[in-house]
Amino acid sequence: MLSMEVDEEIGSEATPSSSSTQAVASTTPAAVPESSCHASTPAMPIAAPTSPHPPPTQSSAPGGAGETSETLSSGGGESVMAAAGTVGSISTSLHPLVILNISEHWTRQRAQEGKPVQVLGALIGKQTGRHVEIMNSFELSFDELDGHIIINREYYTLKEEQYKQVFSDMDLLGWYTTGDTPGPPDLLVHKQICDLLESPIFLKLNPMARHTDLPVTIFESVLDLVKGSATMLLVELQYTLATEEAERIGVDHVARMSSHDTQESSLVAENLQAQYSAIKMLASRVRLIAEYVRASQRSEVEFNHEILRQINALAHRLPVLSNDKFHGEFYNQCNDVALMSYLGTITKCCNTMNRFINRFNLLHERLAMGRRMRGLFF
Amino acid sequence: MASSSTGECSTGGGAGSNTPMSQSQIGQRMWEMANNMESVNSADEIYQYDSKQQQDILQAKPWEKDPHFFRQIKISALALLKMVMHARSGGTLEVMGLMLGKVDGPTMIVMDSFALPVEGTETRVNAQAQAYEYMTAYVEAAKQVGRQENVIGWYHSHPGYGCWLSGIDVSTQMLNQNYQEPFVAIVIDPIRTISSGKVNIGAFRTYPKGYKPPDEGPSEYQTIPLNKIEDFGVHCKQYYSLDISYFKSSLDKKLLDSLWNKYWVNTLSSSSLITNAEYMTRQILDLSDKLENSENALGRAGLFGLDPQEKKTEDKLSRVTRDSSKTTMEALHGLMAQVVKDRLFNQIPQAQQSQGQDHSQSTSQAQAQA
Repeated sequence: MLSMEVDEEIGSEATPSSSSTQAVASTTPAAVPESSCHASTPAMPIAAPTSPHPPPTQSSAPGGAGETSETLSSGGGESVMAAAGTVGSISTSLHPLVILNISEHWTRQRAQEGKPVQVLGALIGKQTGRHVEIMNSFELSFDELDGHIIINREYYTLKEEQYKQVFSDMDLLGWYTTGDTPGPPDLLVHKQICDLLESPIFLKLNPMARHTDLPVTIFESVLDLVKGSATMLLVELQYTLATEEAERIGVDHVARMSSHDTQESSLVAENLQAQYSAIKMLASRVRLIAEYVRASQRSEVEFNHEILRQINALAHRLPVLSNDKFHGEFYNQCNDVALMSYLGTITKCCNTMNRFINRFNLLHERLAMGRRMRGLFF
Repeated sequence: MASSSTGECSTGGGAGSNTPMSQSQIGQRMWEMANNMESVNSADEIYQYDSKQQQDILQAKPWEKDPHFFRQIKISALALLKMVMHARSGGTLEVMGLMLGKVDGPTMIVMDSFALPVEGTETRVNAQAQAYEYMTAYVEAAKQVGRQENVIGWYHSHPGYGCWLSGIDVSTQMLNQNYQEPFVAIVIDPIRTISSGKVNIGAFRTYPKGYKPPDEGPSEYQTIPLNKIEDFGVHCKQYYSLDISYFKSSLDKKLLDSLWNKYWVNTLSSSSLITNAEYMTRQILDLSDKLENSENALGRAGLFGLDPQEKKTEDKLSRVTRDSSKTTMEALHGLMAQVVKDRLFNQIPQAQQSQGQDHSQSTSQAQAQA
């Protein structure tokens, strides 16, 4: 499983992407073999349930926990994934709100039931051409019959009516659930969603993952011939995180709200903090690439020309913008801000002067009065 | 960063028992960790809903005795993000929605929020009958998927003019506090959120009619445009604001941490100067109006020489000063980010390299500290 992931990451690198800086930087950690040893550690506990050491309590555990492990083991037994070479037909972008929504749904159910439960919901968003943007989600209610999940269609219709009133420009795109690798039970649900929508996408979030990567995978379904019969298979889709300014600030805010709410810090430091941590991240990624290049220089790892070419291309992008037009604009911007701060300083100065004069007048009240009277008369 | 947190996990497991474990024990431990055997983390207890306890609180109505009963409000990460994004999607129109939550002593807890199909303009959002219908249906539907909480308040946006309650907001809130207690009003300013890089939010409750609030010194100062200042001034003594804090579940925390692994690019690539150009211009226009105002007042005061007038002009001018330095500071912050990026990506290779080393040194220091 792990090796497949790495392969796919490299495959995704090979595809030309418009924002190559981002793509390379974010996928390199998985692509570099050295770092895959980090990934192998957290991958172990996920494989553990199928290992021969499950605790004795597990066998009698009913409901949700049992269900999850069932999904796990069946996922291992019968593959529902299409062949490794299959490439998805659409590109997707995912808003962080959806991730938090699913996370909250799962946490809430777990807190109320007292144990981890599988949750289900619908994804909504916009589609333009072959690009899908998942912008929001809502919960779905479902019944369980003989271990099969059956979606409550009435509930869906109700919710659809509701979200259409608020987000009139969004459509149903697919569904989400929680758990590990997808298995046949997921396909059954997927078929139900297919009744509502021609080609739904399927998002799976693994709340138990010990990865440091985002434990979110998105699939679409394809029909393929397996042993002579048409079977529905899943293809993993690559996704990017979409965001807009307000959302970014919101996420920043909630992600770091616990870190600096107690001690007082200067405004400048607070503002630079976000920049600093982003640059720190960039530096660590650059360091990783440098280490990889050095390692391949020492021939500790095999030469991968694809990756090396990409690194070279990345290095050649610097300096990013250095034509005269940019410099002109940049200086303009600097001047604008300088002018603003100049005006601000003048205002401040005026205020200080005004206060000083007022106080001065107060001190020498009589003198001031006299002067004023004179001002009135002449 | 990636390696350090996984390291934490494995050492955490190992520290539990100092004696060397057999292979199967390790396997079991790993499995337990992977499946989170403890049913509910202490951090996630807040997600539990005890309907009996809530009913008891509703019956006791402790807020009727003390108009200042609720002091704090806790907002879940999800609710905050939903509200900010909804407010943002409205652009310069005001949007509104409702919040679901519960009460814990003097603290109100907001678990979730949802948008209402209403749009208002200029300080006068008001829910209509259709919205009430929607609200009832939504809450009903949410109960079916395990969201037990009831409506605990409403939120709306004030795009560009700060977080406070207008006259209409005050009457809406007062009405709701009479009939739907416990109820809270939250105001979000999406435009200022972007310009300052921090979520601009306020939570308010009104005092009952005729209640004279104890004079509490000035609350946190904020800029209010000239054309709204009258509305603000008339009603600002009729409500008080609550202390806002936030919470997130352990899974949220984990997801947010890993989200940052992909998210940092966005932080680096955004430029507040460009996204805020319009807001800044408006801010400066407003400032010039205010300055003119205070100048006029100053002229008059100089002529008649009345003391109270003098006091007022001083007040006015210092307020304008505070506004202007705030605007300037925000612009400077934006510029600083630009300059940093220019240094990072556009300088000659040698400079770039040395800087990169600086950063890597600092990161290694940070890691060593961690």
